[in-house]
Amino acid sequence: MTTAPTLDQTTLPPSSHEFAEVIHRLEAGGSMLPDTPENLMQIIGIYKAYAVPMDFYWRDLLYIGERVFLNPLPAFKYFISKDYLERHNTYSGDKSPLRIWRGRGEVHPELEEFMATGELGMKLPKLIHHLWHDRVNMEFAEACMRAMFWHRDINPRFNDYLYCEAYLEECDRAIRAYFKRNPLMLGLYKLFPDMFIEQARQASYYANLGLFWEVMAPVFFEMSDIYDEGGFKSVPDAMDFLVNGIFAVAGRPIYHHVYVGDECFELIPKSAGFTWLYEAALPYVEAVFYRTSPFRGTKSYNAQAGQVPADQKDFHYGILYADVFPVGSAGIPPTLLMQDMLHFLPPYLVEYYRQHCRSDDDTLIQLGITFQRSMYNVTSAVIQALRTALLYPLDDSNPEHLKANREFFEAQMDRLTRSEARLRDIQRQSYR
Amino acid sequence: MSTIVDIAVSNEDFNTLVTAVKVADLVEALQSPGPFTVFAPVDAAFAKLPPNTVNNLVQNPPQLARILKFHVASGIWKKADLASVDSLDSLEGSSIPIRVKDDLFEVKNATVIASDIEASNGIIHVIDTVILMG
Repeated sequence: MTTAPTLDQTTLPPSSHEFAEVIHRLEAGGSMLPDTPENLMQIIGIYKAYAVPMDFYWRDLLYIGERVFLNPLPAFKYFISKDYLERHNTYSGDKSPLRIWRGRGEVHPELEEFMATGELGMKLPKLIHHLWHDRVNMEFAEACMRAMFWHRDINPRFNDYLYCEAYLEECDRAIRAYFKRNPLMLGLYKLFPDMFIEQARQASYYANLGLFWEVMAPVFFEMSDIYDEGGFKSVPDAMDFLVNGIFAVAGRPIYHHVYVGDECFELIPKSAGFTWLYEAALPYVEAVFYRTSPFRGTKSYNAQAGQVPADQKDFHYGILYADVFPVGSAGIPPTLLMQDMLHFLPPYLVEYYRQHCRSDDDTLIQLGITFQRSMYNVTSAVIQALRTALLYPLDDSNPEHLKANREFFEAQMDRLTRSEARLRDIQRQSYR
Repeated sequence: MSTIVDIAVSNEDFNTLVTAVKVADLVEALQSPGPFTVFAPVDAAFAKLPPNTVNNLVQNPPQLARILKFHVASGIWKKADLASVDSLDSLEGSSIPIRVKDDLFEVKNATVIASDIEASNGIIHVIDTVILMG
């Protein structure tokens, strides 16, 4: 059952867009994802399964950006330090200076347990778990970071800062301090300074994504807790919680501090004025949900045949377009995430997947499609947040304002009309 | 004649704006000769933002300052002057869309509820919604 389009409070004629039903739903305060109890159960369950590895991703991204920095042989970058593993969340937990979410600030207990025993279920030395690839797949987090780094046109202010004099000077100080006992690297720095600076820019994107996900992990945990308590009654309830979350932390500073010993180098100081919404969340959604890049084995790279767009802005390999079955091949980023989420599924979702398709044999694909549904809901929250911030209330009495809202929603849906987009598929429950 | 800041302080509809300007350390700048055109949101405009939005911004002055600078443009732009332009460059760097036609006076997604309030260092247009970049 899908929500019936509601146009009661509008004075506009029905949209003639291909996705008119979805547009009318958005105009009624709904989500791109139909409002059904099954969809609600799926997306909340997967948010919880996503939040647990995300609790590792953000900590390790900040550890790499701030501490590993330019290590030329970062073999142990996934061996997060105790300080960063125990780092208290800024917006969640008793010791949070700016508490917004009610959950804990310390690392999630399910993550702690998994890090100790892995899939093997045995407490072995960390190195054994690592080499056996029995661990959290940080490669997924790094792939998201690289997507943001590569699609740099979507974050112009942040990117411009990475080329400004203040950044270059602080980078130079940080690099000299970092390699002060390594004459070989200092010599290479003298010969190829740009190569080192470019690595520092990448580290700045590690910090950017780490600060972004530090916020999202407690949001998803709280959504799961509220659902378990019977708090969310509909998909729009869940979307509204995300919209409020986006606004609550919109002004969070995005910065990049590098620590060499006890000395802190502010490559991007908080005073630069970069914000969570503009320099992290919106670029993340564009880079990861919409664009990314083709994964090996899932797309022809024959650029001469026009099989890959000439312009980066036309890339369409994100989760909103993904065909989860081939994307579910081994070793590529979305599969790594699916594998991570598999470890932390709530019992009701495990049971749900057992009842469908190939039961336990294709859980990864089923949960991948659930994840796709859940990200359509997150994207809906972003669309509604942008509408709130830049346009007009849904019950505005001025028809011109409603028309502007309509044009905005239609423009957003235009991006999902291409054949690869899964918006059509997620309208039906049988898409699994 | 009073400055932009003096006018805001003396008006009880601008309590949130005045607090924000102080926290963001913009008082001195808005007391300077300018001149500036300020689109000043009333308290009710800030209250329309979802919960915690303002609280979190107040705790991060550089980020708050950026939002506030989006409400300020260089020069004196009265309603009549704005009728001939589509947008103004804000001090934040992004442009502010403007629509003036007959009785209509809109600034991005805000409606101007009082216009052309003259100050010694510029002009104030009072708006009903906090405007955001993008």
